[in-house]
Amino acid sequence: MSATQQYSLLLGLALGVLGTVLSLYGLARSLGATRQEPGKDVPASAGVLSRDPVWGRYHARYYGYALLFLAFDMEMAYMYPWAVVFKEVGLVALLDMGVFLAILFLGLLYGWSQGALRRQ
Amino acid sequence: MTVALVLLTLLVGAWLLAVIEAWLTTGRLRPVAPLLAGLSHLGRESILARKPDRLFFETAPVLLLVVAVLGAAVLPLAPDLVIADLATGALFLNAVLAYVLVSLIMAGWGPNGAYAMVGGWRFLGQLIAYSMLIVMPITATAMRAESLLNSAIVESQAGLWNIVYQPLGFVLFFIAAIALAFRSPFDLPTAPGELAGGVDAEYTGVRLAVLRLARLVMVITLSAATTVFFLGGWQGPLLPPWAWSLIKTLAVAVSMLLVGFYLPRIREADLLGWCWKLGIPLALLNILIVGLLILVVP
Amino acid sequence: MSEAATTLAGARKGRPSILRRWVGQALARNLSCLVVPGPEVALAHGLDLAAADMRIAATPRDATVLLIVGELSQKLDEATAVLYAQMPRPRAILVLGGSAPSSLPQADVSADLSQTELMEAATRLQRLLAEGAFAASPDDFDSSILQTKTEYVCPMHPEVVEDEPGSCPKCGMDLVAREAGGDSDAGEHDENRGHEHHEHHHDHKHESEGHDHHHAHHNDHGQSHERHHGHHQNHKHAHDHEQHQGDDDHEHAHCHEHEDHQGQDHGHQQEPAQEQSGTEYICPMHPEVVRSEPGRCPKCGMDLEPHKPGEDESVKEDVSEHDHEHHHDHSGHDHDGHDHSDHDHDHDHDHDHDHDHDHDSSGFMSMVEVTKDLPRSADGLAMDWLEVPFGPCFPGLPGGLKLTLTLDGDGVTEGQATSLVAMNTSSEEVAVETFIERLAAAMPLAPVSYRLLACRAIEQAAGLEPDPAVERGRAAALERERIASHLGWLAQLGRQLSFVWLTRRAAALQLETQRADREQLVALRPALQSLIARLEHTPLLKARLKGIGALPHGSQDLRGTVARASGRTEDARQADAMYRELGFEMRAESAGDAWARLRQRHVEIMTSLDLVEVAGDPELPKLRAIDNPSGTGEATVETPRGRATLRLTQERGQVVSVELDSACSQHIGLVADLVEGQELGDALVAVGSLDLSPWEVTS
Repeated sequence: MSATQQYSLLLGLALGVLGTVLSLYGLARSLGATRQEPGKDVPASAGVLSRDPVWGRYHARYYGYALLFLAFDMEMAYMYPWAVVFKEVGLVALLDMGVFLAILFLGLLYGWSQGALRRQ
Repeated sequence: MTVALVLLTLLVGAWLLAVIEAWLTTGRLRPVAPLLAGLSHLGRESILARKPDRLFFETAPVLLLVVAVLGAAVLPLAPDLVIADLATGALFLNAVLAYVLVSLIMAGWGPNGAYAMVGGWRFLGQLIAYSMLIVMPITATAMRAESLLNSAIVESQAGLWNIVYQPLGFVLFFIAAIALAFRSPFDLPTAPGELAGGVDAEYTGVRLAVLRLARLVMVITLSAATTVFFLGGWQGPLLPPWAWSLIKTLAVAVSMLLVGFYLPRIREADLLGWCWKLGIPLALLNILIVGLLILVVP
Repeated sequence: MSEAATTLAGARKGRPSILRRWVGQALARNLSCLVVPGPEVALAHGLDLAAADMRIAATPRDATVLLIVGELSQKLDEATAVLYAQMPRPRAILVLGGSAPSSLPQADVSADLSQTELMEAATRLQRLLAEGAFAASPDDFDSSILQTKTEYVCPMHPEVVEDEPGSCPKCGMDLVAREAGGDSDAGEHDENRGHEHHEHHHDHKHESEGHDHHHAHHNDHGQSHERHHGHHQNHKHAHDHEQHQGDDDHEHAHCHEHEDHQGQDHGHQQEPAQEQSGTEYICPMHPEVVRSEPGRCPKCGMDLEPHKPGEDESVKEDVSEHDHEHHHDHSGHDHDGHDHSDHDHDHDHDHDHDHDHDHDSSGFMSMVEVTKDLPRSADGLAMDWLEVPFGPCFPGLPGGLKLTLTLDGDGVTEGQATSLVAMNTSSEEVAVETFIERLAAAMPLAPVSYRLLACRAIEQAAGLEPDPAVERGRAAALERERIASHLGWLAQLGRQLSFVWLTRRAAALQLETQRADREQLVALRPALQSLIARLEHTPLLKARLKGIGALPHGSQDLRGTVARASGRTEDARQADAMYRELGFEMRAESAGDAWARLRQRHVEIMTSLDLVEVAGDPELPKLRAIDNPSGTGEATVETPRGRATLRLTQERGQVVSVELDSACSQHIGLVADLVEGQELGDALVAVGSLDLSPWEVTS
């Protein structure tokens, strides 16, 4: 199977799942519509009718981690091709990546020392 | 044919998990319970919260299900029982799993409810914690296989399974997989005792049925991934290859449930702290050890 | 009775069909119950829902059956109506041991409070669901609590609220529509928060509508800033507005009364600044932090910077109203990413009102602009804070406890707990026997303790000496209840932490303990020991509880387990001669956090078991024969949650006045301190670790 065929198969699979879900929705719909009643569509909050919209600026207290995460996630992009050729290239590959990771790891340690690794 | 078999496996796996989960919570073994639950969800009203982001709200459950199925599609159950054995299979799985986050943020934002929104954003924090522990151990298995083909990764374990070759990677991956499937003890985004359902909170009826199915399929997919990357995939004596894949996948899935059954929910701060201060250094150490092993042991 | 009915009040509309019949049957065999007030109350009544094939749902969205246990208070009744309204149809109401709340439709099935009745009711309910999940024409459910009315408010003057559209009598602006809750809810929020400050709504969306508004605003500000310390503009609307242009503006213009007050601290803490002269020290990030001496900011730890309060009036005004200073100086042109908070104290008070117009006409809202009046978190970031209810029916918290937390992300900035089922002690005259029954029934989580308390107080009032034989049986009953209560708390902890094994195990043991005699209790010892041993070694549990919910130093009037877990020798049983005879010895933990409370409860379970073993079979307290039915009596009992004292006066066999002092009345006041600044999960664990019983709070 060529790569194109494989990807079209995956696309077809995704569409198939979507179609199945939609037909389930249709089946559920055939049992009747949702009755509109007061209070029903207000998000459930433990017996209190809280009508206020909640969208707003959310305080993501893990932002210190998030910044470090970006660095590490980028690094992973290099890791995959490296992993595949690792055995072939041998010790040099280990040293190359070792230096790269060591620098990154120092960054992690620095961030840690500066208090990035905690809830802000 | 292959597609039908894989999908059937996923559905049967999800059903089995639901039976076992209900058995753990209620103490009763009722094989029909998941089907009854599905049918009752189908027959109940599916409420749309007021002032929602409708696109997000509707997309989230479907996206989660699509993600779980696509993830399973690149994992081989037997040498030729795989929907698409991509040349970049391991990478594709990673990419697909990233959409779990997208789905949960959507589910959290969509209904415009406080519990759901906190749950969605919490999962972003959870991703930041577990994500590296999914990616790095997979890389280490690819190093040994010299390939990102999932079937090649299985074949590379012919002599020795990765769970023995790189036990550290297995442990980290297993824990991170539970966190990725946001199951107890990592159920921060849905935490019943903290957010009364969180991202699940506003889903009812058929939408909830799809969401629950997606979560179960996700566990099966991740168990299958654990099997492929660390437990030697279809390899094993006597039984046919597909049977080994099924047995191993189910065993991993059930052990994921059991971990949650016997443990309280982790603190968000601890999850982040431990993953970064302990997990990532260990994952890097794992890569180093595997690298040395590959060079030293021919 | 409704048993005659063949369809549910909460049925879905639809004619019979094969699929619908299947759905009905599936629903009937898959009962998921939302328990009101809470599953812990059902357990305390000895109800085993799992045995009746019922699953406990965490939210109304996930429930088919609304299961009401016992009588509900008026406020809980209203909450129940909300929960019922939010359940998707088909939905059923099952009432056990009480009358259906007035705000709900008639119960589909009702029964008494006992396991056999529950099993029987479940069967009836299943039949009803299988047949009556769909009906030809079900009625809509409505209740006054669910009603919304549209009211019209002035965006500048929140005190102007009209029923009709029109213009504001103060500034002449058009009034905006806003959705208000039914009767009590909207008003209640404000009361609960204890706002002392006028809230000043100010909405950027409206600003951009024209310059006039600004002038109106400034005039108003000039005249009234003395009064409006807690003056905050609400930018949330502006924010929403940007993102959801397509949405109905009127709906979005719904006022966020609760969010505004968060910044009231600014008002408070700046007051000293207005009165003092000489150099002050101000945190560059937190302008509300003003100290008379150099040092560090308590919020961010930065060095405080010296600041000379100016001689002229404008300076004073600007310090006190830094929100506005921003507005004047930087709104239109400070888009360069410069840290705007530096500007708070840059002392150039040449505020030029014209800048506002620049800003208005630009039609562009920078981040600085959007966030400048939002409340500040400890790290100096401006965020939207949300006031979120966690109760009265929140999984893992005691039912009837209304916990309201203000969330900044998933951190709690402040919180408050009130009881919706508080005991009202100012009751009319009742016969002593009735009084005992009522008091016991009013405390579903510790009925034996309060029965004992009432009996002792009445007997004391009658001048009766304690009878050692009777007291032994009573003590055994009290200690048995303590074991059951602590196990109930463990089950609740399991629900809170999704620790399914713990919930199942502790609940099963609780049910076994409740009615056990001495021999059966002794036989449970190995099971209890193994539960405790296992919990103390459960991974993650210690990390989850250690250091959480530590009480502030000098917390007054702690009682019971909470007091003993922080090393205090506070136990009414120590003073009891009978307990000394039984060999009672108080043991206390010392750390005073949630983990210490867990361990303290473990210790107390085993201590109580030892006591029962010595004391003999538990006897439910019964009033002994009284000769002299008049007088005043006082009794103290160490209930599972701590010391409770009851003072009562009786005349001719009638209780005429009652005064109850209970542990939970004290402990509920600790909640605000415990949750402040905590992560949401930690805050909830901290509240849970107090083991509050909202019924035992006296109003």
